[in-house]
Amino acid sequence: MDLDFSPAERDFRAEVRDWLSTNAPGPLPSMDTPEGFEAHRAWEALLADARLSVVSWPEEYGGRGASLIEWLIFEEEYWAAGAPARVTQNGIFLLAPSLMRFGTPGQRERWLPRMARGADVWAQAWSEPEAGSDLAALTARAEPAPGGWLLYGHKTWSSRAAHATHGFGLFRTSGTRHKGLTYFLFPLTEVGVRPIAQLDGLPGFAELHFDGVFVPDSLVLGEAGEGWRIAMATTSSERGLTLRSPGRFLATADRLVRLARDADPALADRAARCWAEAEAYRLHTFGTARRIMAGEELGSAASLGKVFWSELDLRMHTLAMELLGERAAEAGWLDGFLFSLAGPIYAGTNEIQRNIIAERVLGLPR
Amino acid sequence: MNFGFTDEQLALAATVRDVLRAHCPPAALRRERRPAWKELAELGFFGLLLPEGADGLGLGLADVVLALEETGRACLPGPVVETAVAAPFLVAGAPKLASGAVCVAVLPPGQAYAPDADLADLLVVTRADGVRVVARESARLVARPGTDPCRPQFEVGFEESEPLAVPVEPALRRATVATAAQLVGVARELLAVTVAYARARTQFGAPIGSFQAVKHQLADVAVAVEFAAPLVYRAALTVDRAVDRAVDRAVDGAADRAVDGAVDGAVARVERDVSAAKAAAGEAAVLAARVALQVHGAIGYTEELDLRFWLARAWSLSAAYGTTATHRRRLRAALLGGDLRRYP
Repeated sequence: MDLDFSPAERDFRAEVRDWLSTNAPGPLPSMDTPEGFEAHRAWEALLADARLSVVSWPEEYGGRGASLIEWLIFEEEYWAAGAPARVTQNGIFLLAPSLMRFGTPGQRERWLPRMARGADVWAQAWSEPEAGSDLAALTARAEPAPGGWLLYGHKTWSSRAAHATHGFGLFRTSGTRHKGLTYFLFPLTEVGVRPIAQLDGLPGFAELHFDGVFVPDSLVLGEAGEGWRIAMATTSSERGLTLRSPGRFLATADRLVRLARDADPALADRAARCWAEAEAYRLHTFGTARRIMAGEELGSAASLGKVFWSELDLRMHTLAMELLGERAAEAGWLDGFLFSLAGPIYAGTNEIQRNIIAERVLGLPR
Repeated sequence: MNFGFTDEQLALAATVRDVLRAHCPPAALRRERRPAWKELAELGFFGLLLPEGADGLGLGLADVVLALEETGRACLPGPVVETAVAAPFLVAGAPKLASGAVCVAVLPPGQAYAPDADLADLLVVTRADGVRVVARESARLVARPGTDPCRPQFEVGFEESEPLAVPVEPALRRATVATAAQLVGVARELLAVTVAYARARTQFGAPIGSFQAVKHQLADVAVAVEFAAPLVYRAALTVDRAVDRAVDRAVDGAADRAVDGAVDGAVARVERDVSAAKAAAGEAAVLAARVALQVHGAIGYTEELDLRFWLARAWSLSAAYGTTATHRRRLRAALLGGDLRRYP
């Protein structure tokens, strides 16, 4: 057991830190405004030019073939530098792992390099009005048509879809519940998009209406009817490593401790606790990375991490709100607080995660 | 970067676990003060951290932290941490230490009573005027009420004593981390026993473990243990690291300060990692105890169910080598002092 970074890993960290200190922009307008969306896309293109947008991907798709540990190092440096939120996030972290694993060579070549530089920005289209935590209750469907499929139905809570170029989602092609679902990629140009303002007043969500949208066979990911299995492979990465690396929480914890430095001891104590918990998540992730690199699957244990990081993030931002009072928004913590409130909801609510922990990790009966 | 245990470290823990399963079953907790100690001694358990010159194996804390976790899981009584972990850094020269023939108790700073002092051949006692080493025959022990039936505690009086020849801090740091490892083991066992009970106990025609109100409490324990353990393993590495030797010497008052100006900061960061581990492990174990009792219901609230030993161990160890509140305060002081550098 050791916690030592190799010389190559230390060099990589130095390079990333150096590049970000020169190139990271100051705060950009929200990515949920038209001008903010374009500014975030331009930033992704700049990152991609430095081959830093998707370091863990193979070189042929715009990455560096970096190891998981190097990716974690990148994330630490990225968030410590205060660099912008990732407008490409749902594509590079949620869709890309599925594309790499289940996509055809043609699909990978067509979509991954464009995704890596923000040329295409992908929105996730899973939830429906009557299918949230119970995703398998979804009713949007696809009907066969010459050369492809026609999509019908209604998706909602689709993050980034107001401005994104493409979407990915599950549609029923046969069967019931988990059986007979198919994973589709689709351009948003033919889809009816109704933006939905989030708590901050900006359209971070959208509703998607499909009224016979034609999708060619080349945009089906994996086999028809295999959508659930492919989607679950994606949620495993969403709940686990790829969506919320420790770097984001470490950076928040550092800011929080500085904020609490002159605070009442009871509040300062909570800040110190959060700092140590962010460390615990980091250390735990190094252990997880080791297991993944040894060929183990993350599986249901990813739910332990999802509960921990989402509730830690909420505790940190709640404390910042208490410390700052009326100055919270001005001091730049309100957006983070609102975002942290979403953590226990998205990627499978924490109630569902606790069921998964109880049933699949601990072995309690259903 | 390889934050996982080696085959040797895992094998040591498995061996200790097997010995404890065979020789420290719950029934032994009711009738013996030191079950399985003879068998552990035969394994060489008490020489693991001793230098080779003292017939030990010269291992680091990270090598044995999982084995220590097993002693917590088994609720092993007796001054295990004091004899196997603290003594090698307090009285390494004491004869027969490696053989397990000498039992050591410690009265740490900030505490009034020494647990398991009745079993000790040597006592290391912290007082306002310094740290003293007291032989059994010179010690006057007065039993004091305690939390843990298997960890009786004593006020220690003495006439004759020797000053401790080495700084006490390196031993205290290691004992604190070792206690944190035991707490992780206690929490894991409480969780396992309670999950088993929730699967078997039926009410309203269903196992109580099928109810979400029960599931979610147990899931919270699983999360708490899962994220306390890495802090404990890291703290073991922290105290083992080369810099820690400089830290030990700095505490000793040697001239390393001039050589390495960072030693003061390094001391603070080592203390910080140790306190983060102890506080998290203590809280995880106390939560595990609370949920274990709640899920067991009335049967858990009895003397006759073995669960009581683990409940008491969670409570007593969470207060040992600094209460959770003490470690929370140290952590806060270290962080608000301004040094946010991390290891690694």
